[in-house]
Amino acid sequence: MKKVYLHPLPVRIWHWINAIGFIILILTGAQIRFVDSMGLMSFETAVDIHSWLGFILLANYFIWLLYYLLSGKLFKIYIPPFWKPIEFIKNSIRQAKYYGYGIMIGDKNPHHPTPESKFNPMQQISYLMIMVLLIPLQILTGLILWDPHLFSPLGSLIGGIQIATLVHTGLWIFFSAFIIVHFYLATLGHTPMAHIKAMFTGYEEEHEEH
Amino acid sequence: MRAIVIGGLVIMCFFISYLLPIKDAVSQDAKSCLRCHGIKTLQKKSESGESISLFIDGTKFEKSVHGALDCSSCHPNITLKNHPKPRKIGSKNDYIKEFSPNCLNCHPKDALMKPAVHGTIVKKGDIYCSQCHGNHYIGSMKEWKNKVSFSEYCMSCHQFDISKTLPSKEKKNLRVNEQEIKKSVHGKFQCLVCHDDFSKVKHPVYNFKDKKQYTNEMNKICTKCHTDKELQKNPAHYALTKTASCIECHGYHGVKAAKVAKSLPENQYCLSCHSRAISMKFKNGETLSVQVRESDILNSAHKKLKCTECHKEFSPTQHPIRNFESLADYRAKSKDICNNCHQDAVKKYELSIHSAALKKGNQQSPDCLKCHDYHKVAFISKDKMASSELCIKCHSDSGKAFKESVHQMAIKQGKQNAPTCSSCHNSHDVLPTNLAKLGDSCIKCHKDAKISHNKWLWNPPVRLTSFVDVHFNSASCASCHTKAEKAVFLTLMERSKNKPITDEAVAKALNVDIKTLKSKIDSNGDGKIQEQELWKFMAAMKEKSKANLSGRIDVLNPNDAHKIEPKGNSIKDCSYCHNPGAPFKGQLEINKEGAKPVKFVIDNKSLNSAYAIPNIKDFYVLGLTKIKVLDILFFLALAGGIAVPIIHITLRILTAPIRRKRREGK
Repeated sequence: MKKVYLHPLPVRIWHWINAIGFIILILTGAQIRFVDSMGLMSFETAVDIHSWLGFILLANYFIWLLYYLLSGKLFKIYIPPFWKPIEFIKNSIRQAKYYGYGIMIGDKNPHHPTPESKFNPMQQISYLMIMVLLIPLQILTGLILWDPHLFSPLGSLIGGIQIATLVHTGLWIFFSAFIIVHFYLATLGHTPMAHIKAMFTGYEEEHEEH
Repeated sequence: MRAIVIGGLVIMCFFISYLLPIKDAVSQDAKSCLRCHGIKTLQKKSESGESISLFIDGTKFEKSVHGALDCSSCHPNITLKNHPKPRKIGSKNDYIKEFSPNCLNCHPKDALMKPAVHGTIVKKGDIYCSQCHGNHYIGSMKEWKNKVSFSEYCMSCHQFDISKTLPSKEKKNLRVNEQEIKKSVHGKFQCLVCHDDFSKVKHPVYNFKDKKQYTNEMNKICTKCHTDKELQKNPAHYALTKTASCIECHGYHGVKAAKVAKSLPENQYCLSCHSRAISMKFKNGETLSVQVRESDILNSAHKKLKCTECHKEFSPTQHPIRNFESLADYRAKSKDICNNCHQDAVKKYELSIHSAALKKGNQQSPDCLKCHDYHKVAFISKDKMASSELCIKCHSDSGKAFKESVHQMAIKQGKQNAPTCSSCHNSHDVLPTNLAKLGDSCIKCHKDAKISHNKWLWNPPVRLTSFVDVHFNSASCASCHTKAEKAVFLTLMERSKNKPITDEAVAKALNVDIKTLKSKIDSNGDGKIQEQELWKFMAAMKEKSKANLSGRIDVLNPNDAHKIEPKGNSIKDCSYCHNPGAPFKGQLEINKEGAKPVKFVIDNKSLNSAYAIPNIKDFYVLGLTKIKVLDILFFLALAGGIAVPIIHITLRILTAPIRRKRREGK
C-alpha cells in the first residue's frame, strides 16, 4: 500500500472549513428563503449565521488562493492541459466511462493522483470552474446582497440586485446538488472512507500495482 | 292758575286784534282767525320742545292760491267759537302728518296720481304735501314752475329721502345732496345738463332691474361729455372705464376732480383709485377685483413696502396697460412679482407638483397668491396648527390622518420641534411623494435615526449604517411606523436616468389616447393588472424606452403615512417584510405631470415571476420577492443530487457479481 501526500495542511483546513460552511450556508439560505415554511431557526438568526459564515468563507477562500498562488501549484493542479486538448478530452471521456461503467465491472481508476496531478480531468475542470468562477461569483453576489447600498457599484455592474440574486440563488441550487454528489464521490475510494480519511490526514492510500 | 293766565292772554289778544290791520281780500272767517294769528310773536312749544310759530302773514296768505278760502276749509274743525283749548302737539312732523290729509279734501288723490312720479310719492306717503308745497303761502304751481330754476325744481323733491325699490329688492336712494353738487366739479351745472331726458314737464320713470344696471346706465350720462376719445388720452384710466363704472370712483353727484395729486405718498396715490371696487377684465371675459384694502397691506408682512417695490412697472407717472389672456395667465405671471425678492422660493416652487399642476390647468393648485394672498401676505406663523391649516384646506384627508399621529400630539404639547406639513413636504418644492424622498425629511428632525436603527438593523460581522440606508431607500418610514395597510409599489421609471415615465409618455410610446391607457394596460378590464398584463405592458414599453419598475414598500393609502405611531408601536421584525407570506398589496404607479401618480392594483404574483428579474431590476426583498421557479429548481437539484448516488449505488450493487467474478479471474 503506497501513501501519497495529496492534501497539505492549509488545503485540509480550507477544505473542512469550506465543507462545514457550505452546508450551513445552504441551510441558512434555505431558512431565509423559506421563512414562512421552515422552522430551523428564526429569520434573524439565519441571517446572522449566513452573514458571519459568508465572511468566514470569504477569508477561507483566500487561504486556498494564497496557498496555491504562493506554492505555485495552482497552475499544475487546477489548469487542464489546454495545450493538449485532444488528450485531455480523451482522458475526460475515459474518466467518465470509469464512473459510469468501469467502476461497475471492476476496472481500475484510470487516474492515479500525485501531488502534482491531484485531480482527474473531470475533477480538474469542475474544481477550476468552482474555485475560480463559481465561488468568487457567489462571494461577490453575496456581498451585494449583504449590503446592497455599500456594494451598489458592483450591483449596477452586474445589472441590478435581481440579477445578483438570480446568480446567488442559482449557485445555491448548484452547490446544494453538488455537495451531495461530491460527498458520494468521496466514498468511491478503494474503501468508502479512504478519500475522507485522506482529507483529514493528508495521505491518500493507493494500492501498489503488482 | 295756568288756565286763568291762558284765558287772560286769549282775551287780551282778542282786544289787541282789533287794533291790527286786517286784509280786506281775505274771508270773514280768515279775518277772525288772523285777529290772533296775525300776531307775530304768537307761538307755542311742542311736547318735543320745538318752537312752533302760530303767526300767519295775512298779506302773504292773501297772495297765495288759497288766499280767498276760509281757514276752516283746511282746518275744518276749528272756528272762533270752537277753538281748541291749548292743544297738545307732539312735534312739527306729527302735526304735519295729522294735518296733510286735509289737503286731499280739495285735491283728490286721483288727480294727484296723474304725474307718475308725483303719484309714486303720494302713494308712498313718506313725504307730506306741506313738505314740498309749503302751508299757508302756497303759490301757483304753474307760476312756480316757470319761475323756478331747473335745479331748484328737481331738488324740490330730491332733497328728501325718497327712494325706489328695484326688482332685485335693492333700495335705491334718490336723495340728492345739493351741497355736495355745489362743491363738486359739476357745481355750476343744472340737473338737466346730465339728466337731459328730464325737464319740468317730463320725468321719465326708469325700470332698472338692479343697482348694477342702474349704475351702468347712469355711466352713459358721463360719456356724453367725457367721450372715449378724450378718455383714451389716459390709457390706464381708459382701461379702467371698461371694467369699472365712472360712479364707482367719482361718485354720483359729488363728482371729484379726476386728477389725483402726484404729491401724495406713493401708496396713497395708488390707493386713491385702488381702494375702490374696481376690477380688471381679461381677454376671455373673466374679471379680477383690483381693489386693495389699505388695512390688508398695513397688517401684512409687506407693510413697509411701497406699491412700486412689487409692481415695478408702475409709478405715479406710469400705468402700463397689461392684456392677460385669462385669470390663469395673470396668476402664472404674478409670481414674477414675488420673484423680485423671493427668487429662491419661486425657483423651488417651479420644481413642485403644485407648479406642474397649475401649468396643466388645475386651477385649484396653489400658486404664490393662493397660499400667501395678494396683499394680505402674512407673517410666518409660530402657531404650528395654524400653519398646517393652509395645506389642510385642500388636503383635508391628510390633515385628518395627521390628527391621529404622534406628531400632532407633539404640536398639542407645544413641542418646539414638532413638525408641520412643510417640515416634511417642504413649503415650496413640494414633490410627488414617490419622488420626494420623504425619509430624508424624517431624518432632518430624527437626526440619530440611522444610528438608532443601526443598533438592530445590520448584518454581521460589520455594523454599517449603509445597511440602514438600504432599508430607508426601499421602504418608507411610515411602512414601519404606522399600523396602516402596506403595499409594494412599482413605479415606472427610465432606469438609466432614474426618472419616472409619465402617463403622457406611456400613452405616446404605446400610441394610445391617454384616456384609454388604463384599459390598454388592464386589457381584461377586471380592475387588476395580472402578471401577464404587466409583463406585456413592460415588453411594449421596453420597445420604446429603457423602462423598468422601481420598487418600494409604503403604506397603501398615502394619507395613512401621516398617522405616525409612538416609537414603541413600530415594526422591528425583519420577517414582517422579508416573508413570502407578507400581507402586502401590489400597486403599479405611473407618474402624472402635475398630479398624483396614476395607480393600478397589481397581482403580487408578478413579484415572484421570472419576468421580474429584467423588469424590476433594483428591488428585492428576499422571500417577499423571491422568484418561485428557482424554488422548483432547488428541489429538483436536491432530488437530482440524491438520485445520482442512489442510482450509482444501485448499479454498483447490481454489478457486484461481475466485479467478484472478475477479481476471481473467471
